[in-house]
Amino acid sequence: MNPHDDNELRELLKRSIAPMNDTELHRDLWPRMLRRLEQQQPLRVPWFDWALAAVAAATLIFFPGVIPALLYHF
Amino acid sequence: MNRHTYLRAYMAGIVVPTIFFLVIATVFYIWRYVYNVPVPIERVLVFPMAVVPNFWGLWNILFVASHTRTHLPIGLHGALLPFVLAPLGILLLRALNFPAIPDFSHIFPIVAPIGLIAYYLLWKYLVRSLNEVLGLS
Repeated sequence: MNPHDDNELRELLKRSIAPMNDTELHRDLWPRMLRRLEQQQPLRVPWFDWALAAVAAATLIFFPGVIPALLYHF
Repeated sequence: MNRHTYLRAYMAGIVVPTIFFLVIATVFYIWRYVYNVPVPIERVLVFPMAVVPNFWGLWNILFVASHTRTHLPIGLHGALLPFVLAPLGILLLRALNFPAIPDFSHIFPIVAPIGLIAYYLLWKYLVRSLNEVLGLS
C-alpha cells in the first residue's frame, strides 16, 4: 500500500463516517449513579445464617469423609 | 426488561453449580489422576456436570413461576432441591455400578443436614443476587 492509497483510504473513511458535532453530555449522569448506589442496600447476614454456616463448616471439619458425597450433589 | 423471564431464570439458576463444577471437577481429577485413586469418578461425573446445573436452572424457573402464589422464601425453595437431587444421584450411582458406593445409611445423618444448609445459603445469597442482577425480583 503506497502513500497515495493511504490518503485515499483516509478520505474514504472521513467521508463514510459522519462527523460528530455535538459530543457534549446534556446532563450530568453522576447524580443518577449516586442515587442508584444509595438504593443498593448493604448485604446483611442474620446471625442464624452465620450459625448455620458455622455448624456446616464444623461438621465438615470433624467428618471430612462426607465431603465427596456432598460435592457430588453440586 | 420483562421479556424471556423463564430463560433469564434458567440462566441465573445454572450459574452457581456450573462455576462450582469447575472447582469440583478439578479436585476430583487431581484426586483421581495425580494421587492415582482407583475410583472411576469420570463414570459418574455426568451427574454434577449436567444433571445438577439443569435442575438448578429448572428449580429457579419454578421459583420465579410460583413465587407470586406461594411467597416461599428463595432459601427455603432452594433447600427443597436436595430432596429431588439426592435420590437421583444415589440412583445413578447404583445404576452405573459405581464401585465406591458409600453406605448411605451411615453418612446420611451427616450429609443431609449439611446439604440442606449449603443449598439454603447458596440459594438465599447467590441465586437471589443473580436473580436481582437479571431483573427477576
